[in-house]
Amino acid sequence: MSDTLVESSAESAFLDLHKKLLEQGRPALVELQEAALNRFELLGFPHSKHEMYTFVNIKGLVATSFSLPDGGVNVSEDFVAGHIYPDCERQCLVFVDGVFNRGLSRFEGVSANLVSLSEADQELKDYLSKTAENENDVFAALSTAFCSEGLVFKVDDNTQISGTVQVLFVSTGRSVGPAMHAPRLVWQLGKLAEVKVIEKFVGTEGGYFINSVQDWLLAEGAGVSFTQVQVDSFDSWHFSKTRVHLNRNARFYSSNASSGTQLARHHYEVWLKEEGSELRLNGVSVLDGKEQVHNFIRIHHEAPQCISHQHFKNVVNGHARSSFDGTVIVNEGAQLTNSDQLINNLMLSNDCHANNKPNLMIFADDVKCTHGVTIGQIDEDQWFYLQTRGLSAKSSKELLTRSFAQSIIQTIEFPEVVEELNGTLLKKLEATNV
Amino acid sequence: MLEIKDLHASVEGNEILKGISLSIKKGEIHAVMGPNGSGKSTLAKILSGHPSYEPTGGEILLEGKNLFDMDAEERSLSGIFMGFQYPVEVPGVNNAEFLRMAFNARRVCAGEEEMDPLDFDELLSEKMKMLKMENKYKERSLNDGFSGGEKKKNEILQMAILEPKLAILDETDSGLDIDALRIVAEGVNSLRNENNALILITHYQRLLDYIKPDFVHVMHNGLIVKSGDKALAHELEAQGYDWVTAEN
Repeated sequence: MSDTLVESSAESAFLDLHKKLLEQGRPALVELQEAALNRFELLGFPHSKHEMYTFVNIKGLVATSFSLPDGGVNVSEDFVAGHIYPDCERQCLVFVDGVFNRGLSRFEGVSANLVSLSEADQELKDYLSKTAENENDVFAALSTAFCSEGLVFKVDDNTQISGTVQVLFVSTGRSVGPAMHAPRLVWQLGKLAEVKVIEKFVGTEGGYFINSVQDWLLAEGAGVSFTQVQVDSFDSWHFSKTRVHLNRNARFYSSNASSGTQLARHHYEVWLKEEGSELRLNGVSVLDGKEQVHNFIRIHHEAPQCISHQHFKNVVNGHARSSFDGTVIVNEGAQLTNSDQLINNLMLSNDCHANNKPNLMIFADDVKCTHGVTIGQIDEDQWFYLQTRGLSAKSSKELLTRSFAQSIIQTIEFPEVVEELNGTLLKKLEATNV
Repeated sequence: MLEIKDLHASVEGNEILKGISLSIKKGEIHAVMGPNGSGKSTLAKILSGHPSYEPTGGEILLEGKNLFDMDAEERSLSGIFMGFQYPVEVPGVNNAEFLRMAFNARRVCAGEEEMDPLDFDELLSEKMKMLKMENKYKERSLNDGFSGGEKKKNEILQMAILEPKLAILDETDSGLDIDALRIVAEGVNSLRNENNALILITHYQRLLDYIKPDFVHVMHNGLIVKSGDKALAHELEAQGYDWVTAEN
C-alpha cells in the first residue's frame, strides 16, 4: 500500500518483535505467520488520512514498544470463575494473553469439536493462507503474524451444540512493558449446524494490546447466535477482526456491547455468499472520559434474497468518541437484497464526539436498502413529559439514557449477559452524572 | 384551589396570553373552549411548567403556593396533572415500570413507603380494567407505537394512578372515536370527587356531553372573552365561535 505512514521504525519495531518470537522456537503456524508478516510489511501502518482509519488515531499505539507475552502467567481460577456466565461453566474456552489455556478451560462436552489450528484439514489451511495473503487490514495481518496457537471449533452437519459456549479472553498486561496478545479462532459450522456463543474480553491489569482475529464459516442452513462483551481496562488497546462467510440460508446474529478503552476498534467483514443468508449485527457502547469505540464494517451482498440488519447505539459522555464507518456493498445480481443500517448516538456532554460514515454501494436494481445516522441529545419533549409525572430532572434523564441503550441490550438472547450489562454498562451511566 | 391572576405569557417573544384570570375551587370542572390559536394549549403548558413557555406577568397560586416557584416535577408532586394533547412517545421505557416510578415518586414525596411491584401490578390492573385497556399495554414502551386513541387512554390511566388534585386535560377528546371517548369520559368521571378539580381544554362540545362542566370559558386571542355554565357550550356548538369572537 503506497499511502502508508509513518516512520518505518514503527513497522520495524514489530518486525524485530517477530524475530524474538521466532527465537523462542519454531511456531506451529510458521507458514501462516510468514504469509501474514509479508502482508503486514506490504500494507504498512496507515497514514492518519487513510480511509480505513479516518476516525482512529493509532499514533500512540504504533509508537508503543511492545513485548511478547510472558507465557505461563498465572491467572487464578477464581478470577476466571468470576467471568464465566452461569450456564457456561461446562463449556468455556479460556485464552490467557492470546493463548488457549487448557487448564483453565472446561470443554468435556465439546472436546470433539476442538482442533488446534496447526492440525486443521488442508481445505481450511488453504483458506487461511489465502486470507492471510489477501488481508486488507494491517492489524489483522499483524495479529496472524503473532498468533502462537489458534483454535478451530468445528460443528458437524446437522449438529446443534447444546447450551451456550463461552470464550473468555483474559489479558494480564504483566510482562515487561505492554504486550500484544493475538488470539485466533476459527468457527466452522457444517450444514444445519447451530451454536450459541458468548465472548468476553477482560483484563487483570491495563497496558496491553489485544488484537484478535476470528473467522466464521457457515455452511448451508447453519445458525449462529454470537454475543461479545468488551470490558477491557481503559489503558489497553482492543482491536478485533471478525470475518463471516454465509452460505445458503445461513444465519449469523451478532451483538456487541463495548465499554470502550483508550482505543477499541471492531472490524467486521461479512460475505452473504448464497441465497437466503441473513446477518444481524447489533452494537451498543457506553463511553466516558477519553474512551473510544470504532466500528468498521464491510458487508458484501453477493447473492439474491439475502438480508442484513445493522443497528448500533452509542451513549457518549465526557471527552469520549464513538465512530462508525460502515459500507454495505450490493453486488451485481444480488437482487431482492434487504439491507438496513442505523446508527444512533446520544451525546451527553459538550466535549464528546461522534463520527459516522454510513455508506451504500449498490450494483443491482431491485433491492431495498436503507441507512441512517442520528446524533442528538436527550429529547427535550420526552424529558419534560417524564418530569410532568413527578420524576426529577436527573432521574428522567437517567431513565431516557438507560432506555436508549437498553433497546439494544434487550435484543441479546442471553439473560445472564443482559443482567450483567444492566449492572455494568448502565451503572456506568449513573456514575457519569448525566 | 387554583387562582390564575392576570396571567401574561410569551413564546419566543410573542405574547400569547394577555391577561387571563380564573378561579377554580375543589370539586369543580371548568371547560376552556376556543378556536385554534386562541391560547388554550399555551395556558395548559404554562400550568404544567413547560420550559419553552415563559410567564411574563401575573401569578398562579395552587393552594396559596406560587406555581412559578416550582418546576414541572414539583408541580406534579404537588398534585397537578397535565394530560397532553400529543402524548410523547418514549421508546425503551416500559409503561408499567414508568407508572410505578411516577406513583412511588409521589408516595415518597408524601412521606409514604414505596409500593412493592406486586401490589402495584394489582392496582394497575384494576385501573386498566376500568379503561378497558388490555394487559399488553403494561409491557409496551411508553406510548411507543400507540394509536392516537391508545395514547389518550394511557394519559387517563396515568391520571387514574396518580390521582391528582387538579388535572388539566388538553384536547383529550381529539383523536378518539365515540366508543373510546365514552370510555375515557367514564374513567375521568369515576376519578372525580369533592376534593379534586378538572380543567378540560377542548375545541368541541362533544366531550362535554359526557363530562359535565360547572363552568365554560371561551378564549380568544389570549383572553377569556366569555364565561358561563354548560349552556354556553351548546350555544357555541349551535352558533360557532364567530358568535363570541365577533363581539370581541
